[in-house]
Amino acid sequence: MTRLMVLLRQRIRRDRLQLALWIVGIAVLAYASMTAVFDTYGEEQDRKEILGVAIATRTILVFRGTPNGVDDGAFAFFLLFAWLALMGGLMSTFLAVRHTRKEEEEGRAEAVAATPAGRILPTTATVVHGVLANVVLGLLLALALIASGLEPGGSFVWGVAIMVSGFAFLAFGLFAAQLFRTSRGANSLSVTFVLAAYLLRGIGDAAGTPSEDLLHVTPAWPSWLSPIGYGQFTGAYVENDLTPLLIPLAFAAVLIGVVFALQSVRDQGASLLAGRAGRSNAGPVLSSSFGLAWRLNTPILLSWTAGGIATGLLATSLSPVVNQAATDAPQVLEILRRAIGSEASIEETFVALFYSIVGILAACCAVQVGIRARQEEVHGTAELVLGTPVPRLRWLLEYWIVGVIVIAIVLAASALAGIAGAGSAADPESLIPAVLEAALAQLPACLVFLGLTLLVFAFVPRATIPVGWTVVGVAAILGVWGPILQAPDWVIDLSPFHHSPVPAGGETDWTGGFWMLAIGLAAGAVAVWSMRRRELASGG
Amino acid sequence: MTTVISTRGLEKRFGRTIALDGLDFSVDAGEIHGFLGPNGAGKSTTIRILLGLARASSGEATLFGRDPWADAADLHKRVAYVPGDVAIWPNFTGGEAIDLLTRLRGGMTDKAAYRDRKQRLLDVFQLDPRKKGRAYSKGNRQKVALVAAFATPADLYVLDEPTSGLDPLMEQVFNREIDHVAREGATVLLSSHILSEVEALCDRVTIIRAGKVVESGTLAELRHLTRTEIAFVHDPAKEAGVTALPDTHDLVIDEGRVRFTVDSDRVADVLPDLGRLGVQGLTVAPPSLEDLFLRHYGDELAPVEEEARA
Repeated sequence: MTRLMVLLRQRIRRDRLQLALWIVGIAVLAYASMTAVFDTYGEEQDRKEILGVAIATRTILVFRGTPNGVDDGAFAFFLLFAWLALMGGLMSTFLAVRHTRKEEEEGRAEAVAATPAGRILPTTATVVHGVLANVVLGLLLALALIASGLEPGGSFVWGVAIMVSGFAFLAFGLFAAQLFRTSRGANSLSVTFVLAAYLLRGIGDAAGTPSEDLLHVTPAWPSWLSPIGYGQFTGAYVENDLTPLLIPLAFAAVLIGVVFALQSVRDQGASLLAGRAGRSNAGPVLSSSFGLAWRLNTPILLSWTAGGIATGLLATSLSPVVNQAATDAPQVLEILRRAIGSEASIEETFVALFYSIVGILAACCAVQVGIRARQEEVHGTAELVLGTPVPRLRWLLEYWIVGVIVIAIVLAASALAGIAGAGSAADPESLIPAVLEAALAQLPACLVFLGLTLLVFAFVPRATIPVGWTVVGVAAILGVWGPILQAPDWVIDLSPFHHSPVPAGGETDWTGGFWMLAIGLAAGAVAVWSMRRRELASGG
Repeated sequence: MTTVISTRGLEKRFGRTIALDGLDFSVDAGEIHGFLGPNGAGKSTTIRILLGLARASSGEATLFGRDPWADAADLHKRVAYVPGDVAIWPNFTGGEAIDLLTRLRGGMTDKAAYRDRKQRLLDVFQLDPRKKGRAYSKGNRQKVALVAAFATPADLYVLDEPTSGLDPLMEQVFNREIDHVAREGATVLLSSHILSEVEALCDRVTIIRAGKVVESGTLAELRHLTRTEIAFVHDPAKEAGVTALPDTHDLVIDEGRVRFTVDSDRVADVLPDLGRLGVQGLTVAPPSLEDLFLRHYGDELAPVEEEARA
C-alpha cells in the first residue's frame, strides 16, 4: 500500500501543472461558453430556430450533440457535451500513455520495475491516478456548470458522464500502450480512438430520427459504439438517467482487466505488436536538402489538408440546406445573417465564412513548417545537414519554399473540395467563382504567418515555437471572433486574417491582400537573408 | 607540407562566458591529430567554428586556407563530420539517414562503389540499417554517423568524440577505419577525452583547457615533459645502492618491487647504474597520456567552465 502511494504521489507531482491546466481549462471553457450561450441565445425562440436549422442541416449536429429541447441545461448539453468529452478523452489517453509506454520507452520503467514495486504496481498506480483525474474533472465541471446558473442535478449527471467516458478512454490508452513499442504509436492509436468516438456519436446524431417539433433527435446506432454517445444518452437536465453509463463503465473495467493480463505475461519493454523493420535504403525524395525539408513536412501537410478538404466540403454542400432553411423560415435566415454579419447572398456569405477557417488551417500549416526548421535545429539534425555542402541560406530558403507549397496545397485542396461539394447547390456555376476567390483570398495572410515565423526563427530562435503558435492563435481569435465579441477596431486590425479580402459578387476589394502579400514576402526574404550572419543555435 | 587547419588567436564568447580564449593550433595534411581536453574545454566550439556552424568572435580560423564561415558549403565538399552528440531523424531508418547524408555530400556519383562501401561498413560496425532513428541507442546513432562519414571519401575527417558511445570491440573497428582513411592520405581531426584512443591513433596532439592550448606536439615531444617509470624486484641487499641513484624521484618500495621515476631524457643515464646493481625483472614504462593529463589538470579539480555550446 505504501509503495502504491509512493508511485501515485510521484505521478500526481509530475502531472500537477499539466493536469491542472487540462482540468481547470475544461471547467473554465464550460463556464465561459455557458455565459456566452445565455447571452446569444437567451430567448427560447432563438433556440428553437437554431435547433431547427441544426436538425435540418444535420451536418451541424456532427459538431454539436443530440438536440433535447430548449431548456437552459438541455440546450447547453447539446452544444457542449461532446466537445468537452473529447477534450477529457484526450487528457485521459495522454495520461495513460505518458506513465506507461513512454516510461518504458525511456527506460525509466525498468529502474522502477527493479525495485520491490515490480512490474505490475506502476500500472495500478497509473489506473488510480487516471481515475482520480477524471473524478476531479467531473466534479469541477459540475461545479462550474452550477456556477454558471444551471440546475445542480443535471450538472452532476453531466459531470459523471464526462468522468465515465474518461474512464473508457483511460482504459483504451492503457490498452494501446500494451500494443505498441513506442509511445508515439500508442498515442496515435488512442487519439484516433477518441476522435472516432467523437465522430461516431456525431454520425449517430446526424443520422438520427428527429421528433415532430424539430427539437429532439433520437440518435442512430453509431452512437451506441461510442463512450461519448452513451454520455449523451443520459439526457442530462431532462431524463437525468445514469444507467446508459454502465456500458462504458463495463468497457473500461474489461479493458483494464485485459491490460493487467497482458502486463503480467509480457517482458519489460516488449509489446504485443512488434516494431516494423523499415527500408535500408533511402527513396528518391531524400536526395537533396529540399527533398528532406519536404519529407519532414509531409505528415504536417496531410493533416492540415484533410482539415481544409472537410471545411471546403462543408462550405458548399451545406448551401442547399441553408437555402431551404431560409425559404422555409425567414427568421432562420435572419439568425444566420446576424451570426455572419454580412449582406451578401446567403450562400456566398456561408462560403466566405468557411474559407476564413480554411485560411486559419493553411496558416497553421505554414507556421508548423517554420517550427519544423527550429525543431531540426534543436534536435541536432540541422547540424548534420549543414555539415554537408548545403549553404545556410539555401537551407532556410527551402523551408520557406516548402511553406509556400503547403499553403498552396491546403488552399487548392479545399477549393477542389468546395467545388465538389457545390454539385448539390441550386446554382453550382455561381458558387464556383466564389469558392475560388475565397480560397485565393487566404493566400496573403498565410504568407504573412510563414514570414513572421521564419523571422522569429532567424532573430530569436528560442522563441520560434511559442511565438509562432501564439501569434497565429491570437490572430485567428481576433480575426474571426473579434467582430462578434465586439473588440475595439484597432485590436481587430492587428490580425492579418481580418485583412483577407472577402469575396462579394465580383466587387471584391483586394487592397488588404496586396499589402499582406508584400509584408509576407518581405518578412520571408529578410529571414532567409539573415542566415548569412546567423549561427546555428541548437540550445533549447 | 600543407596546412589543412589553422587557427590564430581564436576567440568565442557566449554572452559573458568565454568559450575560446585565443586558441592557436594547426593540423598538417595527412596527419591524424588528437584534440584533447576535458569537457567544457572548448573542443566542440572550435570544431563548430572550423565547420562554419558558429562564427568566431575574433581571431582567425582557416580550413584548406579558406574562411570556414564564408565558404562553408564549398569547403564541406571535402569534409566528413561526425558531431559530438549525434542526433538522427527519429522517423527515418539508419539506412535512409546514411543515404541522405551521402547524397548531400555528393558521394553517390559511383553508385555501385558506394553500395559496396556502405555494406562493408554496415557489416564491420554491425549496424542494422532498417531500424527507425528513434529506436537506436546512442552508440548506434554514432555508428550511423560514422558509416555516413566513412562511406564517402573525404580530404578531412572531423570527428567530435566519435567513440564515446561505442564498446571496446567497436573502438577497434573504428581505429581500423581511421588507419584506412589515413593510408589513403586523408587528414583526421579527432577530439576526445579518451586518452588511450588518441595515444593509439594520433601522430600529434593538441591539449586544450578553458579555451586555450596548453600543449601541442608529437607524442614523443610531449613525453619529454614527463617522467618515465622504472621498476624492478626489490633486493634488500642492494637497497643502499638504489637510494644512492642520482636524479630519481618518488621512490617507493612496495609489494616486493622498487618503483621510481626519472625525467624521460635522463633514462639512458640511469640504465648503466641499474646494470651495475644487477637488478632483476626490470620494466621501463613510458608515460601515458593519463600522466600528461594529470599533470595539467590534476591540481585543478575545481569546476571548469560549463561546456559552452549554446
